Amino acid sequence: MSTLFVVNPTSTSTALEVRGLVIAYGDITAVDSVSFDARHGEVTAILGRNGAGKTSTIESCEGLRRPTSGSLRVLGRDVTAMDGALRSRIGVMLQDGGIAPSARVLPLVRHYCRLYDRGVDAHDLVTRVGLQHRTSSTWRRLSGGERQRFSLALALAARPEIAFLDEPTAGVDLDGRETVREIISDLTKSGCCVILATHDLDEAERVADHAVVLHHGKVVIDDSVARLCTPSRRLEDVVREATR
Amino acid sequence: MKLIVAHTKMELATLVRNYEQLLLILVIPVGILVFFGSVDVLPDTVTLTRLVSSVLTLSIMSTAMVSTGIATGFERSYHVLKRLGATPLGRSRLIIAKATSVAIIEVVQIVLLVAIASSMGWSIANVTWWKLLFAILLGTAAFSGIGLALAGRLRAEANLAAQNGLYLALLAVGGIIVPIDELPDAMGVVARLLPSAALAESMHISLGGMTSDAWFSYASGSGVWLDLFGWAVVAPLVAARLFRFDG
Repeated sequence: MSTLFVVNPTSTSTALEVRGLVIAYGDITAVDSVSFDARHGEVTAILGRNGAGKTSTIESCEGLRRPTSGSLRVLGRDVTAMDGALRSRIGVMLQDGGIAPSARVLPLVRHYCRLYDRGVDAHDLVTRVGLQHRTSSTWRRLSGGERQRFSLALALAARPEIAFLDEPTAGVDLDGRETVREIISDLTKSGCCVILATHDLDEAERVADHAVVLHHGKVVIDDSVARLCTPSRRLEDVVREATR
Repeated sequence: MKLIVAHTKMELATLVRNYEQLLLILVIPVGILVFFGSVDVLPDTVTLTRLVSSVLTLSIMSTAMVSTGIATGFERSYHVLKRLGATPLGRSRLIIAKATSVAIIEVVQIVLLVAIASSMGWSIANVTWWKLLFAILLGTAAFSGIGLALAGRLRAEANLAAQNGLYLALLAVGGIIVPIDELPDAMGVVARLLPSAALAESMHISLGGMTSDAWFSYASGSGVWLDLFGWAVVAPLVAARLFRFDG
């Protein structure tokens, strides 16, 4: 297994604990009393239609958005007390990238490796996400799929114990998807907890162990993918019924 | 500390690759100093000391307000600030790293401009260094506050237009190139309230120039420092109030 990933392969303890999370924007309640757990060594998919509250929930867990109420514990610590030490153990891939168009692949990945200071080699990381031939390209010159993998590389610079991946396969071609799948698999084998927000339900069914489905800000499903799906009942059918 | 150093280096490396920013913070101030210091087109009341103080004011305004403001506005719109906020750097160290890079650029600007001015016959013998440092600190706080207040609230394109528009307006009638003594009375009263005029005048005093008539009657001559101090306190507070990390 790649040295890019570490944690504790045998750990299955709770990595993320969300209790009664409420996020309101003025009069609008985007997330309403959401509770769920996510464990080390598993992929937990956060699913739902546009505006269901997926990104708001994830950004609160990342410490980027202050919840209106509720409690959030990441790696055993309260998110409201998020500090550099806790952030250094968390990998974040934003839905909207968070990369300047003029940023070059290798220099920015190298910078993030320095910021996280988790002993990750930038060259190895760029190679792992399949961008070894694009090291000096700027973000604006990358294809949609390459941009997603660039963003994923920044998340992996943390050698994360918990990784929040928001739409990691959006716009990614078939080969790129395979690379992303392999990386997610390596992460979970290493004991990392992966929180995956996606609209791609086929992808979620392939990689996720657990599914949390949000609808109008509320949890409507919180169960294992193995229990939800049968040979005749795909995850897409389950989500479609639950969010009708 | 290691993270702040690493990110300060990244900020400076990004700046060096950005030719528009280099034009703004180095080429324009140097060009103005060399041109107006060599060609006799300004009123006789504009001494070389007055020109140096104006160009130093312009360079601080360029770096602390326009360059920082435009770069930060685009970083906000591309969610770069949000992404960096999720790293161990965090928001507070990100702000310190940005402030440090501004300070380093200003030191380079001031050393370069003073060296060029000295080669043109201007002497540093009359400089009161502690006053100069005080003026630079207050001016940087004031203009950073204005730049970040705009960058933290406006859309990136609107912010770009606002920063450039403000830069040109302050350059023209803000007491930088044309001393407020030379402006029409009504315009002079308005200009005296602006941070650019207060910084230019405090620079002029620090470099050994005489306090101009327009300031002499204002709070017994110390009005220039009160004015600049006011901007240095109020502008960062307004920026802190308005600034949003996420566009």
